[in-house]
Amino acid sequence: MTPEADEMVAVELAINGKPTHLVVRPDETLLFVLRDSIGLTGTKGACLEGECGSCTLLLNGAPVNSCLVLAAQVHGGRVETIEGLAHGDKLHVLQRKFIESGAAQCGYCTPGLIMAAKALLDETPNPDEETFFRGMEGNICRCTGYTSICEAIRGAAREWSR
Amino acid sequence: MFSQPTTLEEALDVRARCGPDLLPIAGGTDIVVAMNRGQLRPAGFLDLTHVRGLDAVRHENGRYECGGAATHATLSRLPVEALAEAALSVGGPAIRNRGTIGGNLVTASPAGDGCVALLALDADVELAHASRGRRVVPLREYFLGYRKTALLADELITRVRFPKDWITAWYKIGKRGSVNISVVCCAIGRSPTGLFHIALGSVAATPIRAPHAEEIVNRDGLTDGAIAEAADAVRRDISPIDDHRASAKYRAAMSVTLVARLLRRIRDRVKEPAR
Amino acid sequence: MTQNIQTIDVPIAEPFAEPLVPPSQTPYVERPHGPVGRSEDRIDGPEKVLGTALYGADLFYGRADCFVSVVRSEPAHAEIVAVDPSAALKMPGVLGVYTHRDVRGTNRQGLIVRDHPVLAESRVLFRGDAIAVVVATSERTAEDARRAVRVDYRPLPVVADMDAALAPDAPRLHPDGNIMGGKRIRKGDADAALAAADVIVSESFCTQTVDHAFLDLEAGIAHYDGRTLTIHVSGQWVHEERRLIALALGLPLESVRIICPATGGAFGGREDISIQIYLGIAAIQHPGKTVALRYSREESMRARHKRHAMRIYYTVGATRDGLLTAAKITVFSDEGAYRSTGPAVCRKAASHATGPYRIPNVSVDVYGVFTNNNPTGAMRGFGACQMAIAYEGMMDRLAARLGIDRLEVRRRNLIRSGDAVTTGQRIPIATAVECLDAAVRRLRQCPPPRPTDPHKSRTRPPALPPHLRRGVGYSVICFGLGYGDGFPDASRARVGVSDQGRIQVFTGGVEYGQGLITMAAQVAAEELGVSVRETDVVWADTEQTFESGSSSATRQTYFTGNAIRLAASELKEQLLDIASKLLGVHPHELELRDGCVVGRFDPARSVPLAEVVAQGRARGYSLEATALFKPRTVCEDFDTGQSPRAFITYLFGSHIAEVLVDIETGEVRVDRYIACHDVGRAINPQSVAGQMAGGATQGIGMALMEEVVNRDGRIANPNFTDYILPTFRDIPPVECVILENDDPGGPFGARGIGEPPLIAATPAVLSAIADAIGVHTHTTPCTPQRVWELLHPDEAAVPPDARFSLAPPHARLER
Ligand SMILES: Cc1cc2nc3c(=O)[nH]c(=O)nc-3n(C[C@H](O)[C@H](O)[C@H](O)COP(=O)(O)OP(=O)(O)OC[C@H]3O[C@@H](n4cnc5c(N)ncnc54)[C@H](O)[C@@H]3O)c2cc1C
Repeated sequence: MTPEADEMVAVELAINGKPTHLVVRPDETLLFVLRDSIGLTGTKGACLEGECGSCTLLLNGAPVNSCLVLAAQVHGGRVETIEGLAHGDKLHVLQRKFIESGAAQCGYCTPGLIMAAKALLDETPNPDEETFFRGMEGNICRCTGYTSICEAIRGAAREWSR
Repeated sequence: MFSQPTTLEEALDVRARCGPDLLPIAGGTDIVVAMNRGQLRPAGFLDLTHVRGLDAVRHENGRYECGGAATHATLSRLPVEALAEAALSVGGPAIRNRGTIGGNLVTASPAGDGCVALLALDADVELAHASRGRRVVPLREYFLGYRKTALLADELITRVRFPKDWITAWYKIGKRGSVNISVVCCAIGRSPTGLFHIALGSVAATPIRAPHAEEIVNRDGLTDGAIAEAADAVRRDISPIDDHRASAKYRAAMSVTLVARLLRRIRDRVKEPAR
Repeated sequence: MTQNIQTIDVPIAEPFAEPLVPPSQTPYVERPHGPVGRSEDRIDGPEKVLGTALYGADLFYGRADCFVSVVRSEPAHAEIVAVDPSAALKMPGVLGVYTHRDVRGTNRQGLIVRDHPVLAESRVLFRGDAIAVVVATSERTAEDARRAVRVDYRPLPVVADMDAALAPDAPRLHPDGNIMGGKRIRKGDADAALAAADVIVSESFCTQTVDHAFLDLEAGIAHYDGRTLTIHVSGQWVHEERRLIALALGLPLESVRIICPATGGAFGGREDISIQIYLGIAAIQHPGKTVALRYSREESMRARHKRHAMRIYYTVGATRDGLLTAAKITVFSDEGAYRSTGPAVCRKAASHATGPYRIPNVSVDVYGVFTNNNPTGAMRGFGACQMAIAYEGMMDRLAARLGIDRLEVRRRNLIRSGDAVTTGQRIPIATAVECLDAAVRRLRQCPPPRPTDPHKSRTRPPALPPHLRRGVGYSVICFGLGYGDGFPDASRARVGVSDQGRIQVFTGGVEYGQGLITMAAQVAAEELGVSVRETDVVWADTEQTFESGSSSATRQTYFTGNAIRLAASELKEQLLDIASKLLGVHPHELELRDGCVVGRFDPARSVPLAEVVAQGRARGYSLEATALFKPRTVCEDFDTGQSPRAFITYLFGSHIAEVLVDIETGEVRVDRYIACHDVGRAINPQSVAGQMAGGATQGIGMALMEEVVNRDGRIANPNFTDYILPTFRDIPPVECVILENDDPGGPFGARGIGEPPLIAATPAVLSAIADAIGVHTHTTPCTPQRVWELLHPDEAAVPPDARFSLAPPHARLER
């Protein structure tokens, strides 16, 4: 059980509901594999140290920083990315609210924010302020400021709890 | 090479055989940061995230027993204030879902918030080896020096034990509202017998206990005078440095401030009339 | 070009003198009927929320053939003795290592003065200077090879800060010495006025080095087919990038094409050329291959220019009633290793040194000082935002000294319409007071419910615990829009109609989040009577679009908005002309509305635009129009800094921050935030509010936490773990108040909004902290430690006197 150092690893996982088989290097991050090996570039990298949340996606329903998760660790897991959110032409309510509230300016933090917000509202459809911050505090927006983003998420929450 | 055991036995076995060649990885929130910065290129990994039960928290005989891979998210839900708040102060939710207490204890950063909270709870840590078995080390003896610990290269952290019903308090000074590396943090635990355990982070080479300060409140209780004296005595327990995060002077002053603040907070909780 | 402009004598106006043009009667421009003035959804919204927008690094997948990595200087100051790529070249997968010897052009870059070698020749001036470019078959190999390139240095003494740079025996970093240059303003007689003043207040301010920290790291691809070098990289001014790259790499201008992909923020940080040029070097060496390069966060922070750290010595004289009579200001600005846009930043700092205040006697000296830190250049609010910290800090100090209310002191000195700013330029519509009043009115109202928790009561707890103090702070600022100062400033736009009848707008401007392309669509659609949904915008591609100048200096709405409007109205002439023939109605009696040409007096006479277009095509109309908007400004006089029109127009704004300060730990929380700006007209109010909230967030970051820590020429915090940005918890809802006083020259009366919100935010927060703790702030950012040090000056890490090390004689005057 001591094969070559750079032996590749086979990983079975579901990406946006689709069973996927990947062969990855042990040290490749999930972010890198999604973006550069299979072209799901909706998930963004920005700090590559878990500080900004741009790379947030859902692993088994919970938000994680895909820049810090090794792809090989995700074996057997369920991955949801921004690409899996809309149904055909129909935007997810968070996506729609982000547009309506002007919450996506440069748009770079948007996919990560939307995924973090989805995790938050999946668990707590109508969060109080502390829960809201706990759910969103790992995502940084440099450009839009947080006001319209909070409005978008709150707007989505209103529809969510209906 | 990548090993992904599902049982603890298997994990300990791989660890014993491959030792430092396979870097144990749990949440990766320390390791992968270092990899992404180009500071670390491990030859292979021993993935602990699939080991059944290693992330669980159990509760027996008035103590919690949490697995080495229990996440900050899990700890943040425990009714042990200092630990829960420390865990909640780590990163954002995505970090807390991945980062583990075992990783925090192994990284042993002077700013390790989990380490500080557990020191204030006088926790024990269980270090296990496939054939030598398990040894339990009191956390106050576990930190040996700057990022050096009692863990050997062929062992894993399997469990951390700490009391359930102590009165505890926590405060971390950071430079913003969340996702802070502590500039100074402090945790205090009071055992049911009235003994105080004062721990601080980012004021020495390791997370530390503050024996001088403890001695005063253990002796005199929580009078205004004793609190002030204990807070002042903490200066003898710490050895802060100047770095790009803060000055030694500020860290020293904040150690004093936080010890006093948290002792007062505990006094309010205990509702013990000031003597 | 230095002209001798006669200094305009500015009498001291009476406080509360009637403005020349009361704002309510500002020239009425035109009332839009269509999309202008509406919060239209961003046209790039869907692709951004779907994750399908392609940013630089998203272009790698399926395209990149080989990867580029840049060898950078380790020492901050050294001679290069030798570069030895042999070990790297031996590595499997390495395709080449290139140095300045392989660059065929001038090998020079720099926006104002081309003083920066693209690849270092004999000397490196900061830790991050590029030395060689590595090309390899994989990103990892390129990275390994980069480390394997051996560079031998002869170390030179590091000039770590401005004190070291100005020391008599300092090593010379540039042939002319360590003073890059500067800017001077002389108006009236500041010395005499100070001597006569009832009170004199002085202070020394230190502002920090700031990183743009846009999230979308520098990344992109390039391809050279033997004739054309095509580069897909985000910038802020693609046409200038093309010029610089062509010159530096020795290609004809027509052989370089720059296409800007989706861009995740810029804030001035993409004004200087970045990876484009290294990609160009690599692509030329490997024709037919698509080469790719992306920075890590650390490389991004090491390589890029920064916001100037400034030392500002500010002295004001005033009457007992708080009327300012004199200001004497000396500024030293850490220029870093190369000029970048430093000269413009120094000039901006000088012309904005007294902000929106009326001071008859002013003397300003700004010096840019070379050091071995990162070059410093453009960043949102360039130069003006540092000065706002100082002049607003002085207003608070003056108020405290005289025992006059802070708002009152400001009102007494703020310029009114028709008054002149420090450069002598009269401002026909100056709404500083209106902004302040509107913000204060808002403050008196109950704050709206927080979106983070609509249920939570916003009534304040009656009493704060003893360690918490509440404070409120105000700022009022002004900002001259555009490059100004006589610098050629123009925008071109083309508007056409596609065969399908869609309106097509072409602009060279870069959309990096600020909303440029939605504005462009709204302006064209308004003019042509269609909806934004029927309008497409092609932007920032040097092949398809004309030059529109940079997306910076808050200029695109004004300049490109005007150019688009002009082009669209040209096109409209054609459309009406065609329709006139179809309908038999005089073109002046026709208008474009809801996708039809309609008789103005006889709406029954109408023809759909599509038919007009088809007829036009058949009759040989071009169905497109191009326009140039190029207003003139006048260069400030060399000796006095005076100019009748240094800037095309001025913007005003006022912010209010409420903070809670923990006086034991120094922690600060911003509890309430109000931003008010006069934008002329909000073409898209939601977009304007977005710029206000985003700018305020960056300004709050600058006030409280953001700081590049330079230690001996090394950045101690080149990552987001230690270069920290505001999070959700740091920013309360930004309550936006938008004032609209039409600008006579702006498109539909619009001015702009990009930079002012950042400029106004930092001083408002600092003022609030001072109010809470009873001690004025002077050094940014106000981290918990710095706030605590203000209360415990004896324990400060940097002795309080250190900031006076460069002080001119006026810096300690007090009376
Ligand atoms: C954005 C961000 C913010 C953060 N904020 C904080 C903070 O506020 N406070 C704080 O204290 N920390 C913080 N951290 C650091 C980090 O989250 C913690 O130290 C975390 O607990 C590490 O756990 P992990 O499982 O991710 O460790 P890993 O990175 O997986 O491993 C860390 C080390 O522990 C070893 N290891 C892990 N588990 C075991 C085990 N069971 N037995 C033996 N060895 C083991 C690994 O081999 C490695 O050497 C932050 C990190 C990030 C990225």
